[in-house]
Amino acid sequence: MKEEIQNNQIDEKNNSIEETENEQEAIEKKTETVDDNEDELSVYEDKLQRALADYQNLERRSQNEISQKVRLKTNQLMLNFIGIYEDFIRARSALTSDSVNTEGLDAVVKNMNTLLSENDIKAIDAIGEIFDPKLHEAVSIVKDDSLDDGTITQEVAKGYISREEVIRPSKVIVSKKH
Amino acid sequence: MGEKIIGIDLGTSNSAASVIQGGKPTLIPAAEGTTAAGKAFPSIVAFSKDGDLLVGEPARRQAVTNPENTIREAKRKMGTDFLYKIQGKEYKPQQISAFILQKIKRDAESFTGDTINKAVITVPAYFNDNQRQATKDAGTIAGLDVVRIINEPTAASLAFGLDKNKQDMKILVFDFGGGTLDVTIMEMGGGVFEVMSTSGDTQLGGSDMDSAIIDYVVDDFRKKEGIDLSTDSTAMTRIKEAGEKAKIELSTVMETEINLPFIAQDSSGAKNLEVKLTRAKLEDLVNSIVERCKSSIDKAIEDAKIPKTDITKIVLIGGPTRMPIVRKFVSDTVGKEAESGVDPMEAVAFGAAVQAGIIAGDVTSDIVLLDVTPLTLGIETLGGVREPIIERNTTIPTSKDKTFTTAADSQTAVTINVVQGERPMVADNISLGSFNLTEIPPAPRGVPQINVKFDIDANGIINVTAKDLGTGKDAKITIESSSKMTEVEVEKMKEDAEKFAEEDKKKKDQVDVKNEAESYIYSTEKLVNQDLKDKIPQEQGIKITDAIKELKDSLTQGGEQIKIKLDALKAIVNEVTTELYKNSAPPPGGSDKQDDPPGGSDKQDDQDQNTEQKSNQENNDQEQTESNDSEQKSENP
Repeated sequence: MKEEIQNNQIDEKNNSIEETENEQEAIEKKTETVDDNEDELSVYEDKLQRALADYQNLERRSQNEISQKVRLKTNQLMLNFIGIYEDFIRARSALTSDSVNTEGLDAVVKNMNTLLSENDIKAIDAIGEIFDPKLHEAVSIVKDDSLDDGTITQEVAKGYISREEVIRPSKVIVSKKH
Repeated sequence: MGEKIIGIDLGTSNSAASVIQGGKPTLIPAAEGTTAAGKAFPSIVAFSKDGDLLVGEPARRQAVTNPENTIREAKRKMGTDFLYKIQGKEYKPQQISAFILQKIKRDAESFTGDTINKAVITVPAYFNDNQRQATKDAGTIAGLDVVRIINEPTAASLAFGLDKNKQDMKILVFDFGGGTLDVTIMEMGGGVFEVMSTSGDTQLGGSDMDSAIIDYVVDDFRKKEGIDLSTDSTAMTRIKEAGEKAKIELSTVMETEINLPFIAQDSSGAKNLEVKLTRAKLEDLVNSIVERCKSSIDKAIEDAKIPKTDITKIVLIGGPTRMPIVRKFVSDTVGKEAESGVDPMEAVAFGAAVQAGIIAGDVTSDIVLLDVTPLTLGIETLGGVREPIIERNTTIPTSKDKTFTTAADSQTAVTINVVQGERPMVADNISLGSFNLTEIPPAPRGVPQINVKFDIDANGIINVTAKDLGTGKDAKITIESSSKMTEVEVEKMKEDAEKFAEEDKKKKDQVDVKNEAESYIYSTEKLVNQDLKDKIPQEQGIKITDAIKELKDSLTQGGEQIKIKLDALKAIVNEVTTELYKNSAPPPGGSDKQDDPPGGSDKQDDQDQNTEQKSNQENNDQEQTESNDSEQKSENP
């Protein structure tokens, strides 16, 4: 009888050990799952951060691209306008040389000048200046010992600056000593 | 995602660069803005009479005034011994190309906001190894690690996404630039772009078409009005611009008008130029030029030894291929429609960026991009005979070796001459360089065994090594070639290039200090004459005015002098404004305004506050302007 009780106690202990082992296994498995989840979470966190960073970069780039495109288009439009504006100036000087009254035309040109200055567009100084390849484009040279080398003697096409950007360089003829 | 790598189309007439942004290639704009060549810029380098380096558009603009110090088309001299002599200094073609690459590096860094250290550069398919090596050297001098050299037609095919096609194909690439025509036939299959043939015309390009249009307009006016405009530079400038515009317009419309009022004047008054130009007329004018392209296409097909019908794709590159007549001509000649969807002016740079993107991991491609060696590589053997080691069209990177022996008894050294070409005799091929293998133990001829190994990396760059198998000793080998540069030479040139960069920085600093001074003068004058006119005691007002005058006088002198005078003015202004504050209520925000320009300090009453905000705004505008200006100036190191 005593032996039976002892055996039962041993069985119980064994069962309890087995249960504890099972529980431990279950805890280990859960810990593993938690670790896996944490790893997965950090991967997603990283992905989210990257996606957010990508979005911010895209936003910044888009802004830059838009402002660049607007600037390019505006400059192009202003250059097209300048073509017609210069035709008016030519018309005025042709009429002046024929002694025709140009008062009306003068007013038109004045309005055009206002439009250009409102848009921060300035003509580039050329004649008498020293040639600067950032502002001027030389189309030919003339030999002249009386002038400093590189002095602009003739402007064949006017150049323009929009704010600080050269939208069209002046086309000029430049002096060179013999 | 790895470090950013840019793609560079280092062209004969124009160059362009591109970078992958948001998974797509984007062209990097030249700092000086869009020109006739689009976002590309002319491959021109010049030195002004003051020794300033000019690259791109500014170099082109000054070319007629300074032809002796202006270099165009340095690409044509790459890989040769040619030396440019400029202002008493000699420059190799790769140094000139390096100046162009340095500008591209600067533009790319300003565009992306990142430091750029790596690049893929394109070269024509017919470039030999010397020319490829020279291109790589140019990159190194400019501070760029050239991670890959690829063929221009391969780059263009990538830009058109032809690598995404699963099937093998034969591609005809028609590259019609401003001054040259290149026709290449390539085979793409098994992950390899293989060059089958190349042909071209170095004296044919879009500029011939522009001349034809100008001649027509001038002739037409002469017939109608009896006036010759060709001697009037103002008129010719206007005609050239209008002609180019008309040519571009006629790619999309059937008829346009060149209308140039008041182009000339005679006794009867002002004359206007009005010419209607139809697409048919334009095509008639340029037809003979387009027809001249036929022989190059035919030759390329003939050399590729394939029937025309085998060509599966046509890729067009270069501005003139935008013209419908050119596109139609190529399509009709080959019997197939050309690919479309990519700007032919930008295709090569885009393709280089795609290749760069693949290397950097920004772009995925189904194919492993491999190139082939365009010509057979070998060495010279007895009697001037060429012994091939790596046959042409071998996929690279690759490595091959052969064992040779001596030609005479007791020969202790051999000279190995590395040659490239398809001809059996060395004299008919190109020598890439030679080196000596010495210290071979004396032995009867035919006994020593010398192993020569050729190794070509993915860029097509060859490394040749030799080993005496008899002694087992590794022999020290030096390639002695005049066209290839030693590391010392490359380092020296890098130093020179950096020197220009330093000079550039110095100049920029000078401009910056001058700009800062001008801005400070402006705001101080405003402060003294308007904002604080009644508050500054007369004596102090005079002190400030004198300091302003001194600073103004120093503007024509060096940066050092300006800095001294500027600091002096700042000190006086600070002293005066501090005195003013002492006598009034403490400003909100405290002392952190100390270094601001004089207009930037806070005020007390509402009315002044309003004026002050405006003044701040003006200061900001002024600063913005200055920084733009100095950026523009920094283009010119």
